[in-house]
Amino acid sequence: MAYEFTKEDLKEIEKIKAKFPEVMPATLPVLWVAQKRFGHVEPEVQKLVAKTLDLPEAHVHGVATFYTQYYKEEKGKFVLDVCTCLSCQLCGGYDILHYLEKKLGIKTGNTTEDGMFTLNQVECLGACGYAPMLQVTNDKYVNHLTPEKVDKLLDDLKEGKEPEYEKIGMPRRKNI
Amino acid sequence: MPEVIIDGQQYEFEGQHKLLQFIQDLGKEVPFFCYHPSMSIPANCRQCMVKVGQYVKDRETGDYETDENGENVIRWFPKLQTACNIDVADGMVVHTQETDELVRRAQKDNLEFILINHPLDCPICDQAGECPLQIQTYKYGPEGSRFEVKKVHKPKRVQLGPRVVLDAERCINCTRCTRFTEEISKTHQLTITSRGDKNYPITAPGAEFDDPYSLNTVDLCPVGALTSADFRFKARVWEMNQTPSIDITNGKGSNIDLWTRDNIILRITPRFNADVNDHWIPDESREAYKLFNENRISRPQQKLEGEQILSSWNNAIATLTEQIEETDNSKILFIGSPHASVEENYSLGKFTNLLGLKQPVFTPHIEEGTGDGFLITDDQAPNTNGCRLLGFTELDGASLKKEVKKAELVVLLSDHLIDRALLSESDLADKFVIAFATNHSETTKAADLVIPITTAAEHAASYVNTDGRIQRTFRAKEIRYTNRRLDLEMSEGRLDRYGTNFDNWVTEDNKIDCLPLWSFISEAAKSSGLDLTLTEGREIMEEIAETLEPFKGVSYPVMDEQSGIQLSIKSKEKTKA
Amino acid sequence: MSTADWKNYEPVIIPDIKDLDKIDVYVKNGGYKALESILKDKKKWADPKSVINEVKEANIRGRGGAGFNAGLKWSFMPPADGGPRYLACNGDESEPGTFKDRKIFEYNPHIFIEGALIAAYAMEITTIYVYIRGEYKAYIDMMEKAIADAYEKGYIGKNILGSGYSVNFYVTYGAGAYICGEETSMLESLEGKRGYPRVKPPFPAQKGLWGRPTTINNIETLAHVPSVINRGAEWFKSVGAENHPGAFLYGISGHVNRPGVYELPSGVPVLELINDVAGGMRNGKKLKAVIPGGSSTPVLRADQLDGITMDSESLRTVGSMVGTAGMVIMDEDTDMVDVLWRIAHFYHHESCGQCTPCREGTGWLEKILLKIKNGEGEVKDLDLLLDLTTQMEGRTICALADAAAWPVRYTINRFRDEFEARCKKVIKASNKAISHQS
Repeated sequence: MAYEFTKEDLKEIEKIKAKFPEVMPATLPVLWVAQKRFGHVEPEVQKLVAKTLDLPEAHVHGVATFYTQYYKEEKGKFVLDVCTCLSCQLCGGYDILHYLEKKLGIKTGNTTEDGMFTLNQVECLGACGYAPMLQVTNDKYVNHLTPEKVDKLLDDLKEGKEPEYEKIGMPRRKNI
Repeated sequence: MPEVIIDGQQYEFEGQHKLLQFIQDLGKEVPFFCYHPSMSIPANCRQCMVKVGQYVKDRETGDYETDENGENVIRWFPKLQTACNIDVADGMVVHTQETDELVRRAQKDNLEFILINHPLDCPICDQAGECPLQIQTYKYGPEGSRFEVKKVHKPKRVQLGPRVVLDAERCINCTRCTRFTEEISKTHQLTITSRGDKNYPITAPGAEFDDPYSLNTVDLCPVGALTSADFRFKARVWEMNQTPSIDITNGKGSNIDLWTRDNIILRITPRFNADVNDHWIPDESREAYKLFNENRISRPQQKLEGEQILSSWNNAIATLTEQIEETDNSKILFIGSPHASVEENYSLGKFTNLLGLKQPVFTPHIEEGTGDGFLITDDQAPNTNGCRLLGFTELDGASLKKEVKKAELVVLLSDHLIDRALLSESDLADKFVIAFATNHSETTKAADLVIPITTAAEHAASYVNTDGRIQRTFRAKEIRYTNRRLDLEMSEGRLDRYGTNFDNWVTEDNKIDCLPLWSFISEAAKSSGLDLTLTEGREIMEEIAETLEPFKGVSYPVMDEQSGIQLSIKSKEKTKA
Repeated sequence: MSTADWKNYEPVIIPDIKDLDKIDVYVKNGGYKALESILKDKKKWADPKSVINEVKEANIRGRGGAGFNAGLKWSFMPPADGGPRYLACNGDESEPGTFKDRKIFEYNPHIFIEGALIAAYAMEITTIYVYIRGEYKAYIDMMEKAIADAYEKGYIGKNILGSGYSVNFYVTYGAGAYICGEETSMLESLEGKRGYPRVKPPFPAQKGLWGRPTTINNIETLAHVPSVINRGAEWFKSVGAENHPGAFLYGISGHVNRPGVYELPSGVPVLELINDVAGGMRNGKKLKAVIPGGSSTPVLRADQLDGITMDSESLRTVGSMVGTAGMVIMDEDTDMVDVLWRIAHFYHHESCGQCTPCREGTGWLEKILLKIKNGEGEVKDLDLLLDLTTQMEGRTICALADAAAWPVRYTINRFRDEFEARCKKVIKASNKAISHQS
């Protein structure tokens, strides 16, 4: 499949390039642009990024494989990144992960047959106080997970309803 | 002068030095893998750990502070330092593994780490015998392994490109190969993929590692992760002899080593020369090893009724002598060659001189646009400047054709003029053609008499590169008439030294039945009643240096000592790379 | 304000003000006053150096974990030579247990922007980048918005507030790599490369982004700067612990009733933070252990915590560090073997792979710990683990190997019984022979 950036993408890429004195720093943000457009950064997409920025393909490949958020292969429509690191581990992150494995009928790291969900276990997402939690497709955090909340999330996603940003209130001082 | 104290010994120094290089230059050793003097210093292998401190100076007086015993007070760095990236400084105190238990321990610890995920498959690895990891493990590594869990598995036998094969499990992530394509060849074809202990070097998916300098990464690789697709499994390094030589595939004169076993050249590797090729050679220069082995002319050959048949040396000498005697001097054309050495061309020239013939002519072998500004030159021959400095008449293709037309006897030296498309078969059809040559070609096919001569691997002779530097080769390979054990200049490998004639690795057929040009010419001169004895390159060069101004001061000992001598050439002769 | 008064501390970075993330609200509450003052009040701030001196005097110790005096770091920048100079703000917070900077991005982005602008002016910097971890998509968007607003109001850009000083400010982001929180690795990532930490020297102040002088500061560190300018170094030093002054954004997570981020003076007693601030232990369980400042800081047993306060001096006495003040609280049911294995797994996953001891060591640690966790380990494995930690520590370019080694060393040392209990009893050869026969 031949991948092409749209005019809009190219405009955004120009904006990104303008931030830096050289073109190489645009590698990471432009890989993001590509992933947003194509859903992944498979080798052909990496090639497109290299061509667009006039950078060596090997360089783009090295960068794409260093950072875990880039999908080097096609994923499900929704990628569920469940944090199981330290605080989430303490607060039941693995229970949530196993619950999702059972519920989706897949092992961690795999995608459901209908291509709807990919389930991953990830490292600390910086939401330690709101554990256990997961991130949906590199975007919204869903915090304070319970089996019920997971059920609802899956139902919503199946209906195409993506989660809203959860604003977590600051602890009020009067509580102290 | 500033001083540094290494293992209790004081050394003076001037200028800027990295500690590891400084220690190496002293002839001492600190183990390392990732450091390379011609590339950036990532300090990532962490092998060259040493303990570093600094004499404490009194701020006011500028003198070193001393303790109650009168010893200088030393402020040690809180951590061990990698010697590769630290600058030598005045009053610096260094402990290497030779004097410090902590340093020994750190180096051993590091090797233990390097080895845990390494496959330890030395018995089947091409690198064994010349492997820094193997060598340094024996010297500095742990005796056993405490690693009892599963190793990381990575791709093996990956054909990275036409010439390089990757075994990612052997890789220790020194990044020399990726740095090479970034900093030296600048093709940027390699990167490290993935992260942590899953790291390994690779091309972009689907891309080929066809960098024209790709095989240098095989030399650089401190383990057997990158091996040469061509050389793989051909020989163990300890079975081979290593002989210094000069690349003859282009005009750069890159310094190389020829690796022989049983008189077959098995591979060519670069030899360091800061003034010429640094540590590198192009891949195509390595291919040249085949020229020394394959398609060689062995025994003189003479055309009889249109067909070349094997002849004898006596017959060859007689034929040459006869032809020269029978042909009108003005109808004899000797053609020298930029592909042949200074000594060979000189011998040819001297022969024509004694015969009262005009000096040989030659035509440079330049292909515009093939050079890359680095180590590949437009000049396809190793000795164009040598021919010029000998005073040979330089002809372009058209003039050469004209000269040939006028001649009845053409004597050709090592230049495949038909293959180069300077002459056609018909140009030579009605002449008597004598070709001194090393390999069969369309040109030798057209000759009436073909006299096999030695290649750069079989004689010691000199070549003047595009920059005017004269450098010489050594005998790497025996011919039918030489004997490695009697020739003090030839290297002896383990097998040569300890093998017996009954060992089945000795193959007489691998010795080519050929002679150095000067030996043949001496014989031919004798048969013509001329006083000419040319015994070997070393003496011929002495004669050249005495008689020809441009070569004044040139001799084999001086070339050997200085890795070549820069001659003064006219700037127009500095053929552009 | 002494540490004992921590209950009366009025938060400055994340105060209880509605919609403070909006620039108008921020300005109405005294925002950008500090910036205006240093740019315009020449009597008070004669030159950029005077700003550096004030910040140096305040002793804002870097809140990213290393705890180096920020003003002193600024003073390492070489004199301006007319070429570009950079400030790189480190918003890559990824150390397990740490989730404080996101609160600044969300609730008070402008205090950070103002702090960064002051820093930039003080160091005569021409361009500011804030590098935010890729997972913080929401906060990247919030920062883009906040910076756009500040540009619009003239706090960023050409000739700021008519002062003649100009600076650009850009948001950039990662894509999933803990190591990019290491300052030189972040520079590599910002330059569009694999996040390999750089060898020092040269230090970023000499050769940073694109070989030019660069200073790297943590987000929280910069967020403290406006109040230092507004209220003076003396005020800042009066807050919290003497040797580690100012407020911390304590991130408290784990088995407590009210996890979250709390802005309080440094040096609050650990037990008070757990019991009074974070609402005590969940389900009335007993406290077992605390990791005080992110996963790399050595764990402390409950019995070590009496009288210990959250500052570097006090924590040092019990063999730990303040790190990022991201406190992970563990109750009596916590399996320390599991916890340590998970930490080791994290560092194995995040090692960039550049240096041998870290690339190989982190994996080895994890694999042995997994073996122990699965009941397959032997007591000698514990000693091997401890040995490996000394083989890793201090032998690499950056501190990730140290960060991986410390938890292993201290968790095993401080909970050795628990680890030994998990190891299999070594069956003697003779017993084995018998069992084979039966």
